[in-house]
Amino acid sequence: MADDGSASNRRDPIKSSVGHVAGQRRRQQAVTVAKERRELLVRAKRLCRVGTNGDVEDSLVENEMMIDEEQPILEAQASKSVEELKSAVQYQGKGAMQKRVTALRELRRLLSKSEFPPVEAALSAGAIPLLVQCLSFGSPDEQLLESAWCLTNIAAGKPEETKALLPALPLLIAHLGEKSSTPVAEQCAWAIGNVAGEGEDLRNVLLSQGALPPLARMIFPDKGSTVRTAAWALSNLIKGPESKAAAQLVKVDGILDAILRHLKKTDEETATEIAWIIVYLSALSDIATSMLLQGGILQLLIERLATSSSLQLLIPVLRSLGNFVAVDPKAVLTILIREQNTEESIIGVLAKCLRSEHRVLKKEAAWVLSNIAAGSIEHKRMIHSTEVMPLLLRLLSTSPFDIRKEVAYVLGNLCVESAAGDGKPGIIQEHLVSIVRGGCLPGFIELVRSPDIEAARLGLQFIELVLRGMPNGEGPKLVEGEDGIDAMERFQFHENEELRVMANSLVDKYFGEDYGIDE
Amino acid sequence: MFNYLFHSCQETKTNYFEFLLLCSSPEAMAMGMAVDTVGELGFPYWNPIRRRFSPDSPFFASGNVERELLAKQVALDLTEDEINHLQKFVETESRRISCPIVGCPVRLKSLDHFEDHYNARHTASCSVCSRVYPTSRLLSIHISEAHDSFFQAKVARGYDMYECLVEGCGLKFKSYKARHRHLIDKHKFPSTFEFFKKTQLSKKRREKLQRQHVPRLKHEDDKEAASSDAMEVEDKSSVDGLVSALSTLTTSDTTPSNVSFGRRHGRGLTFVPRSVHKEKRTESSSAPGPTN
Repeated sequence: MADDGSASNRRDPIKSSVGHVAGQRRRQQAVTVAKERRELLVRAKRLCRVGTNGDVEDSLVENEMMIDEEQPILEAQASKSVEELKSAVQYQGKGAMQKRVTALRELRRLLSKSEFPPVEAALSAGAIPLLVQCLSFGSPDEQLLESAWCLTNIAAGKPEETKALLPALPLLIAHLGEKSSTPVAEQCAWAIGNVAGEGEDLRNVLLSQGALPPLARMIFPDKGSTVRTAAWALSNLIKGPESKAAAQLVKVDGILDAILRHLKKTDEETATEIAWIIVYLSALSDIATSMLLQGGILQLLIERLATSSSLQLLIPVLRSLGNFVAVDPKAVLTILIREQNTEESIIGVLAKCLRSEHRVLKKEAAWVLSNIAAGSIEHKRMIHSTEVMPLLLRLLSTSPFDIRKEVAYVLGNLCVESAAGDGKPGIIQEHLVSIVRGGCLPGFIELVRSPDIEAARLGLQFIELVLRGMPNGEGPKLVEGEDGIDAMERFQFHENEELRVMANSLVDKYFGEDYGIDE
Repeated sequence: MFNYLFHSCQETKTNYFEFLLLCSSPEAMAMGMAVDTVGELGFPYWNPIRRRFSPDSPFFASGNVERELLAKQVALDLTEDEINHLQKFVETESRRISCPIVGCPVRLKSLDHFEDHYNARHTASCSVCSRVYPTSRLLSIHISEAHDSFFQAKVARGYDMYECLVEGCGLKFKSYKARHRHLIDKHKFPSTFEFFKKTQLSKKRREKLQRQHVPRLKHEDDKEAASSDAMEVEDKSSVDGLVSALSTLTTSDTTPSNVSFGRRHGRGLTFVPRSVHKEKRTESSSAPGPTN
């Protein structure tokens, strides 16, 4: 930091401010970009910095992030580079191929190392038609590779920029074939992955152009970065919300075996992408769900949950488990019975997730438990007898709101028989008593006070269980002791009619005129 | 919010509305089940159901954001701190909650904000009887109707004094019951709604009131007295009621407690010295009773 005299301050404005200002702008832009990404939710695009063939030279030579002041320069360079590519493509004479590759490489460098590549400038200068031309059949591998790389990074930006790739799609898909060299196929898969990640419309275009089968076949090999990239692209392609892509994937011969094989053995990064494929299959395809269950997927998911500590992997694995449990609790029952209270039991791994520091894992693990707890009495007993109970009770008082809500579902489900017929579902008093003694009431009353309708409803329903089901009529006293009446009286002027009626009816019934009279 | 309800009902054979009906259905009755019809609708009892969410459900949003933020790390080279900050920012931005109190337009950023907002704006309490109302308008309506003898005098003379509780409606009625009917018919309030609840205050509430030194002369075991706490005036359009109401108002705090009129007959009335009453009365904004 220059603080020796104003002259030197002025002399080095760029250097001294780079750290702070650029950092701030980077953060601001990151926030804006992150916000866009969040809104679209499906945009999981990836910029390609290092070539698939391990081309690292560029990153060694120019390693620093370009600062924002240099953006206009970058854009000018991009336009110039496209111009050069144009003339290289038109040139027919000796050394034409080398010219083209050099021009492509220059453009590719500009598009890969900056934080915000000059995509718009390149597009305005007419890059796409040239890049498409460079993808033509019979072109040398290097040319194909550089061209696909440029397209990849163009597609990693804003929606309009991704859409600009439309003319290139048929060729990119064609180069996924088994005749292509591996690096080329992988780079094309990457570009396609970015396009698929943009939105449903583009996914539909890709599907109708036949992108799915060749992409699916790319995950058959046992290992390699190609498998990982292809799996990632495939997960973007089938994510829905329509189920037709998932249905198409299931029909690819041998694909489910490959998926199970990878889930069992492959490295964590690849397994992460495979797990996302499983998330979408289990959510969108019943056929896939039952076939995967038959193939023993639950055990594999549990093993991964037990052994991994990578958040990236744990999230989709946990979610897949949740999807399976939500659909088919019978499958879960057999697993539960087989292994109880071991590290590798389903309850054990869910407990591990509850103990994690990561919010998502805690929330979704509680969700899975709530679905197990919604099952038979054996399921409930199984959860109730384990180390999970003190974890849940603690989470109910201390964790963020969305986790507390899921925990509430677990605890409530444990206390109530899953209704067979009509009328009031029966209370399992043993569970209710132990959970209430465990100190859950304040947490539920807290939910009653929340502005979230679903949470308030849960809280009121649980209070009803306590009022009705606690032995010796202790319920009302307990609820009153935790300011429950106060919380319920708030609903008199609540805009939600159902909640008003629920709260009023409880207060009328259990805290009416006769209450406290004998004290 | 409805998303959640809808999703949670998806998996069950009975959806939510059917369930409500079931609770008070003839079939259920016929099966000899003790179906409590608490209030008009059957209470929606806790029923364990499996909940399934589609991949693009908001339920999975935070997990998806995590994936994208972690992927974006490659592109933007964010530090771990920046990622945490981003995630929190991104989540709270989209999670503003509307205040659920009728007529309140405020949108809040977080639950803590909601608690603060609620305590600041929706807990207007009556200094006479400690009932709490969510707006100052409702509080002042309560005070007029429950603690103001002149209000009752005008009612007795036939003026339309009972205002509709819904802001902006403007209608007024001659009796509490008429207004009550209007709220149900016109504004769809539930028939169990009671602006002036006649039920006994809970023991805890009573203890709270005692501690707050609200002028009070009877033993807490006295049921009748308790239900007409501190100069409360119930809906009585008869002259009788007016007289007794007036008498409780004008005499209760100025005469020694062992002299009681009409309705007050409890045992062991606590004697509170007059000087204390005078002090308290200056705090009470609603009691127009005679001085000294």
